Amino acid sequence: MSRTTSSLIAGAQTVAPIIVGIIPFGLVAGAAVTSAGMGLIEAVGMSLLVNAGASQIAATALFAEDAPLFVVVGTALVINARMFIYSTSIAPVLVPEAGRWRALLGHPLIDQSYAVTMTKGRYREDIRVVPYYVGSWLVLALVWQLSNIAGALGGAFVPAEWSLDFAVPLVFLTMLMPALKFRADAEAAIATALSAAILVPLLPMQTGLIAAIVIGMVWGALRHHEHPAVEVDA
Amino acid sequence: MSERETFWFVILALASGSFLLRSLPFWLHGRTPAPRWLERLLRHVPAAALTALVVPASLYTKSNGAYEVAPARIVAAVAALLVAARTRNVIWTLVTGMTVLWVAQGVLGTLGL
Repeated sequence: MSRTTSSLIAGAQTVAPIIVGIIPFGLVAGAAVTSAGMGLIEAVGMSLLVNAGASQIAATALFAEDAPLFVVVGTALVINARMFIYSTSIAPVLVPEAGRWRALLGHPLIDQSYAVTMTKGRYREDIRVVPYYVGSWLVLALVWQLSNIAGALGGAFVPAEWSLDFAVPLVFLTMLMPALKFRADAEAAIATALSAAILVPLLPMQTGLIAAIVIGMVWGALRHHEHPAVEVDA
Repeated sequence: MSERETFWFVILALASGSFLLRSLPFWLHGRTPAPRWLERLLRHVPAAALTALVVPASLYTKSNGAYEVAPARIVAAVAALLVAARTRNVIWTLVTGMTVLWVAQGVLGTLGL
C-alpha cells in the first residue's frame, strides 16, 4: 500500500467515531431541502459544493421562510467565518507538503478535518499529512452525502429524542484533551468556554461562536507571553 | 428567476463565499509576511475552537431557533469530560456520554423536569 493510501486511511479511521453523530444532521439537512420544495439534485449539489453542514441547514431554512437573499447567503457565510481562522491556523502544517495542490486545500476544511489534523495528524511520522487531512474529510463527506440523500427521500427518520447529535461534541471533547498541553491553552479553553456559554445563545447567526474563539485566542496569546511553556497535567 | 433557480443561486453564492473563506489563507501563506503576534494568536486556535464546538452543545438544546438549558446534557458532558481526561479514548467517552445522557433524560423525564 502506498504511503498516500495508508495516510488517507489513517485520516479516515481517526474520524470514524464521529460518523454516528453526523447522520442525524445529514438527515435534517436533506429533509430541509425537500421540505423547502427542492429535490434530490439540489440536496446533493448543495452538499458537494458548499460542504459545510450548519450553514447549509441555516441557508435552507431561511430560504424556505422567504428571507431576502442577502440574508440567506450572508447568515450562512457568517456561520462559516470560523473556516477562515482554521485555514490561517492550519496553513503552516499543510502548505509546505501540498505544493501545487495548495489551491485546492480549502475545500476539505471542515471542523473535523481541522481538529484531527491539528491535534493528531501533524505529530505522526508514519503518515503524510495532506492525504491524512483529505482522508478525514472524505469519509465524513461521503456519510454526509448519503445521509442527505436518505433525508431528502425519507425525511429525518431518526427521532430527535435519541439525541444522537450529542455524539459530535463528545468526539470533539476527546480531541480537545491533547490540545490542552500547555497552561496557556487550558486558559484559552476556559476563556472560550465561559464566553461561548454566555454569547452563543445571546448573539445572532452563530456569531457568538466566533466571538468566543477570538476571545480564547487573545486570552491564550496574552497568557502565553507570561508563561511561555508551562505544561499542565490534563 | 424560478424558485429552483433562486435556490441554485443561493447554493452557488454560498459555495463560492465558503471556498474563498477557506482558501484565502492557504493561498496567501508564505507570500505575505506573518508577524509574530499573529503566530502567537494562532497557537491557541485548536484549544479555543474545540472548546467552542463542545460547550454550547453540552449546555443547550435548540428548538425553533431558541436555546434552552439542557440539564441532562450538562450531566452527561461532565461525566464524559472526566472519562476523556482520564482515558483520552474516544469510544469510552462516546459510550459514557451517550449512556449518561439517555439515563439522565429518562430520570428527568420521569420526574417531570
